[in-house]
Amino acid sequence: MTILEIQHINKSFGKKVILKDINLQIESSSIIALVGANGAGKTTLINIILNLIPQTSGQIKFLTNENWKQITGVMMQDNIVLHRITVKEIISLTRSYFDKPLSYEELLNISGLNNHQNNLMTGLSGGQRRRLAFALALAGNPEILFLDEPTVGMDSNARNEFWQEIDRLKKSGKTIFVTSHYLEELENIADRFLILQNSTIAFDGTIKQLRSREGQSLVEFDSELNQIDFENLANVISINLIGHHFQIITNDVNQLITELTPYLKAIDNLQVKQSTLDTLLLNYKENNHE
Amino acid sequence: MNKFIFQTKINFKRIVLRNKAFFFFDMLLPIVFYILYTKILVSNVPVSYLKVWNKDYLVSMMIYACMLGGIITTANTLLEDQMSNFKLFVMLSPLSNFQYYGSMSIVLITLNLVSSIALTTVAMIVNHVSISIGLLFELISINLLGTILLILIGVLISFARKPNTVNLLTNLVVFPLAILSGLWWPINIMPTWLQNIGKVMPTYQLSVIDKNILHQTTQHIGPFINLLIWSFIIFLILFTVNKIQKEKGLVTQ
Repeated sequence: MTILEIQHINKSFGKKVILKDINLQIESSSIIALVGANGAGKTTLINIILNLIPQTSGQIKFLTNENWKQITGVMMQDNIVLHRITVKEIISLTRSYFDKPLSYEELLNISGLNNHQNNLMTGLSGGQRRRLAFALALAGNPEILFLDEPTVGMDSNARNEFWQEIDRLKKSGKTIFVTSHYLEELENIADRFLILQNSTIAFDGTIKQLRSREGQSLVEFDSELNQIDFENLANVISINLIGHHFQIITNDVNQLITELTPYLKAIDNLQVKQSTLDTLLLNYKENNHE
Repeated sequence: MNKFIFQTKINFKRIVLRNKAFFFFDMLLPIVFYILYTKILVSNVPVSYLKVWNKDYLVSMMIYACMLGGIITTANTLLEDQMSNFKLFVMLSPLSNFQYYGSMSIVLITLNLVSSIALTTVAMIVNHVSISIGLLFELISINLLGTILLILIGVLISFARKPNTVNLLTNLVVFPLAILSGLWWPINIMPTWLQNIGKVMPTYQLSVIDKNILHQTTQHIGPFINLLIWSFIIFLILFTVNKIQKEKGLVTQ
């Protein structure tokens, strides 16, 4: 079921075009990852959806009979740190904004701040503030959740627990719209990827579709050779070189390994992996798909 | 309604109850000025004149207290809300702007009410000023209405969005406005051209209305129209600046 429709959204600041004819349908019970380079317009798109800034043209439609703010939860990139207010008070205040809020105890459990409910928000650590922000985003028991860089500031355990909670929310029927620079986290959880590039949605599909389009496999090795030595191999889709570490995206690993045979003496630590979102995106940038 | 009441309760806690130093100085400053200019810095003044001065200066300091609460507290609180991302949080929540600003106005108006009562109590004790309950009620009511205009000025200043600029603007507005309006010193000791400017200021016109109430003289429509025109102008500027900031995406920063 479609919960949100984005129709022909354009946004310009003066003569600078930020978004160009963005069209999307967001289905319920799914996790949608919005990815792209810094400055690609991800936050602008989210801000337009959330009515924080006006679009130059186009329409945003939440397909609900209720006030869209009653069914929306938002976790912004920057934490809310209200002075002279306790954890208990901000949770209670946020609950009061909504018609059908989650219970106080449930939100306190999500925040993981059961032992800090009488602490001032200013006294919380970065990770605790992030978890509290997540609980506040869920206060209204939203149908659609917007998460902008949600795991920044969380340690690895907290990040793991966070994504487990997101998966649980998806299974309970929630729609999650997320942006993150931790691409490996998105790779494991998102059902649908939107790549924002050159002001448009350059790719809209699953990770599987992205791999079949951009390369299934990733061959990694260390070598003192130059990038140019491998660039003309037939099965190379793209090469990423960091120091002496090569990452080659290919659709045919066996053929590529055969092609690499003459160089094997100059190659160490050869590994074959499934291509990652990180490398696929890099490939996308280099190829400048339009 | 529940969310409005809760928001107001939280605002009371964070702006007043848990901000004691600020609350104390917000109330104390006008009281100190009142005592200074009616008890300490007055000499060789005829008793009959002093009696009127003590009453008039009470009105001036009541308005000055409204300026501190209405302009400085509003601008600083809204700035704090912006810096702590609370403003953005509210914009994304089902709480309307009207409820957000309305709940804050209730807190600030109450703060000014407490200031006015404290000032009157000090005037009664220190200078034996006598004002009937009815007159006092009228005075406070008019001042609280005037506070709404001052809150609008505070909101406008908060749109500067940077702590240094907001501090500079509050100082540039509040103190010159207090002096020009004759709240600190009698307006007639200033040069005529400055008096002419001062008499256009909303706080001067508010003091004219107050003094007419206090001395039970006839009210004229002029001061009320002046306040309405100022409110309209400030509201128009507020609306325009807000629209421009939203257009430029500044509200999310």
